[in-house]
Amino acid sequence: MTGPLERVLGAFLTDPAAPRYGYDLMSAARLPSGTLYPLLARLERQKLVASAWEVPERDGQRPRKYYRLTGEGIRVARLELAQSSARSHRAPARPGRPARGDL
Amino acid sequence: MRGERQLLRVGEYLVSRASKQLPRKARQERYREWAAELPAILHDPLIRFAPRRAIRMLAYAADTFRGTALTHVTSRRRWLELAATAAAGIVVIVALGGAISSLWSIAQSPTQPLNYLQLIWSLLLGAYAVSLRVRPTARVTVLLIIGVNLMGVVVSLWTGAENHGDWVNYLWAAALIFGLLVWWPLNRWVHTRRGNAAHKRT
Repeated sequence: MTGPLERVLGAFLTDPAAPRYGYDLMSAARLPSGTLYPLLARLERQKLVASAWEVPERDGQRPRKYYRLTGEGIRVARLELAQSSARSHRAPARPGRPARGDL
Repeated sequence: MRGERQLLRVGEYLVSRASKQLPRKARQERYREWAAELPAILHDPLIRFAPRRAIRMLAYAADTFRGTALTHVTSRRRWLELAATAAAGIVVIVALGGAISSLWSIAQSPTQPLNYLQLIWSLLLGAYAVSLRVRPTARVTVLLIIGVNLMGVVVSLWTGAENHGDWVNYLWAAALIFGLLVWWPLNRWVHTRRGNAAHKRT
């Protein structure tokens, strides 16, 4: 799993039921729009994310599109993030400078 | 905010350019989605300073354009791949046709060595087209292209010697040799450059 995907899934999972706008996700995942939207499109194709148009509250306001994880998306996201976290814990620590007297 | 309308117009222009790079059926929806985010960014209550909000909105639009430009390159590359596969398929069909024709000629006159050379040439051409698609960077592909060219030169010279005065065969042989002489150093140069680039990355 790539870093940007991990961040997007993490942003969704902070409140899986809440609908998220593109800009909102950009801020939460700290990703630029050019990276986020292709990712969202891919997740939507895989049926892990569903999108819908918001009905504008006021006249003249533009409707915005919001995204949320599907049931399958929540399951996959939790699994992927857990696996990713386990991998990072298993990875050996980078060798540091040897302590004095080690050599 | 002063100049808000102009800023929005610039942002909308960028996202409309971005959406135009997408497949036709997705354009309208993507444009609506991206354009709707622009005023929201411009009025983001979490960002205090108006110039910062304006920069963020323009950065959003510009990066959306970058994202779709990358996708567009990918789809263009896919088309090129498809065209290359189709061209290789045509070469294979032509080579098989040549091989069948040579076999027919061999059956008609088995003592004529030129027919055997033409058969080998056709088979090498087919093998080259297949190898180019399967393992384009392999040494065997390079050997096949050299083989195809040299065999073409031999066949052309032989045909030229049999049909006196038919200078087209000699011209064809010269073109094949010239092609090989240009291609060989060019291929070596590209190969060395790729090797150097890979070495720098590691």
